[in-house]
Amino acid sequence: MRRVAVTGFGVTSPIGVGREDFWHSLAEGASGIGKITRFDCSTFEVRLAGEVRQPMELPEEVARWAEADVKIGFGYAAVREALRQAQREHLGQDSLLHLGVSIEAFDPTHVIVNGKVDFGAAAERSLSGAGHSLQVPLDQCTAVVVARHGRPARALTNCSACAAGAQAIGHGFREVRAGRCGFALCGGLDSMVNPLGVGGFQRLGALTTDNERGEGACRPFDASRSGTVLGEGAAAVVLESLEEARSDGKPILAEVCGYGSTLDAHSLSAPNPEGDGAVRAMVAALDDAGLPPEAIGHINAHGTGTLLNDEVEAAAIRRVFSRCWERVPVSATKSLTGHMIAAAGAVEFGACLLPLLRSMLPVNPFLHRVGRGCELAHVTSRGMPFDGEYALSNSFGFGGQNASLVLRRYNG
Amino acid sequence: MLPRVVCLSGRGVRARHERGCRLPPRPDMAHRSGKVGDDDRVVISGIGMVTPLGTTVTDSAAAWVSGATAPRRRMPELAGTWLEAAEVADTPLLDLEHRFPDGRMLKYMSEGAVLGCLAAHEAIEDAAVGQRFRPERVGLFAATGLAAARLRDTLPMVVAAVDASGSFSPVLFGKSGLRAASPVLSFRILANMPACMISIIEGIRGPSYIFTPWEGQGGAALVEAWRAVATGEVDAAVAGASDTAAEPSSFVFLRQRGILGDNELAASGAGYVVFEREATARCDGLTKYGLISDVSLARRDCPPHDPLARRMGRTFAAAPAILLGLASFLRGGWRADAPQTLVSGVDGQEFCFVLEAAP
Repeated sequence: MRRVAVTGFGVTSPIGVGREDFWHSLAEGASGIGKITRFDCSTFEVRLAGEVRQPMELPEEVARWAEADVKIGFGYAAVREALRQAQREHLGQDSLLHLGVSIEAFDPTHVIVNGKVDFGAAAERSLSGAGHSLQVPLDQCTAVVVARHGRPARALTNCSACAAGAQAIGHGFREVRAGRCGFALCGGLDSMVNPLGVGGFQRLGALTTDNERGEGACRPFDASRSGTVLGEGAAAVVLESLEEARSDGKPILAEVCGYGSTLDAHSLSAPNPEGDGAVRAMVAALDDAGLPPEAIGHINAHGTGTLLNDEVEAAAIRRVFSRCWERVPVSATKSLTGHMIAAAGAVEFGACLLPLLRSMLPVNPFLHRVGRGCELAHVTSRGMPFDGEYALSNSFGFGGQNASLVLRRYNG
Repeated sequence: MLPRVVCLSGRGVRARHERGCRLPPRPDMAHRSGKVGDDDRVVISGIGMVTPLGTTVTDSAAAWVSGATAPRRRMPELAGTWLEAAEVADTPLLDLEHRFPDGRMLKYMSEGAVLGCLAAHEAIEDAAVGQRFRPERVGLFAATGLAAARLRDTLPMVVAAVDASGSFSPVLFGKSGLRAASPVLSFRILANMPACMISIIEGIRGPSYIFTPWEGQGGAALVEAWRAVATGEVDAAVAGASDTAAEPSSFVFLRQRGILGDNELAASGAGYVVFEREATARCDGLTKYGLISDVSLARRDCPPHDPLARRMGRTFAAAPAILLGLASFLRGGWRADAPQTLVSGVDGQEFCFVLEAAP
């Protein structure tokens, strides 16, 4: 089987558009969470989110799609940056495109006609060409990428919620490793920072309503954590054969060497209290990489900041790393970005990739007092050096889908 | 009698398989996890479907063979408009309370989830997956169609958020729109939920992929499942899709984009199959549907083509699994007049499979 190199990474996030800004914020612990500006949220219980606030330069037709569904712009910007770094412009018959998304954008204004909610009239208007499209399908970013960069052999759109981005990368890794494609462009994109998205998660009770906490509202593993904060953005990676990338003189950022995927089969919104699915995902990724737990030098946790999820994940990590968990540094970058749902796994892959390149770990700056059951070797100070060889990224999704990825430092 | 979807996995004793294949637990199953040899091929050992032609694979296949076409219905949401005569295929979902004795789960389900759970359950029961395989060694590879939010779930929120000037008001939405929403709305609209509900109800705990929203993505689910079995990543894979293209908002979108022609019928439906290795199935006497010697997904950029569409309606993401299930059922279990073996999707990708008779 082939070794798999990461030759390109692009990111659009609340803490930076582009990998340099993103890394700077990760290292500094600069949060992108703040008051929602995209709509008037004054009557919502939840008034915080991680919004992408930096401007992006998008081609005209991409910008038009981004007006209909903002995440398409995020996804395209990340893809473009990853392709450029990998010195690629065109997808082709030797490539795989696989992007993760979660939910279709729903614009309520599109069903209001003459001051009334009238689906029939909206449908007539839509079909006569005078109105907006009532839906933007989840594969629209895939279609935009194909239109701009050419047709891959296979184009897949993954909708595995919070695990979608990690699943897309894991699948791309397996395909390149097995030689079923020459290179893979994979990642995830999402935005739920709209009335329906924020409102829906508010109704579920998953989001913190401690709005006065501002930028520090998302507190994974902290005793005072009170829920997660929605974020938005995208990330994309280019994966290809290490040997071919080396012979082509491509930049090699790191290797991907393991992927594990499991289902909890327990509950729609809560993890298995024993952390069984999370444990099996991490173990599967380590087995896939042929590594013992002691080899891992950094874990970026799923770490949502919800009471139950953090405690279960911490217990799962302690179980898998039973002999060494006190020595394996754990970061939780949702504290800075918020929970980017389908984009989270891909963005957090970057939060494992960049520390391997820059030899420094991301900080979890709002963790002041570790919550009961959340004991791990948390990274709470800035500038912590890192010389480990392997990193593990966890993504544990709503609905019980779990994915873990193992990355390796590339030493030439 | 329609199969009942009973949520027992991991919480009690699973109901015994009702189709006469009463298998004892296999003591060696726990160790069956290595890579397969070249001669270990993949078979379909279970099939389930809900289509406009029938609510089980037997009914759907019988209707197909008899030359039946899907019953049609108009959409009340479009009454009074020039679209009121438009029709979609009618997929009757009868007796849900009986088929889902756990009524709590039904409350969380979209129509796509209901269809998917019924079809997957039929396939899983058919293959006696629960009795024969460890849950951790069973994968779930699925696809879902366009957003399945029902208008009756979403429109009341918007109605409550229209201000005096007739515009949408986020302030009103936060104040009263959200109160008009079901607290379980998120479970009904997240695209991965239909498959996750299958996992929870059936106790499937292995690897998964969930794709969306067109035929090529439904085909991708089948390809990944087949591959996971062929390479030994899993011992069995439950694979398929559900789609609710007959939902009015999906229908309007499909017509607006020119995806659904004037003479085409949008249909809701679901199809699931169980893949496993031939050696295992033969040992357990479950090779009745024959071998799947190859499945593939490739970009062809040809016009969409669904051999079932003319009589069943277009089920988009679900079409590849329904086609594969129907073709396998008719060849292996009934008679050799199965439909064609490829679907070309809206996404320009073609799913194709090769069926062989079981040895």
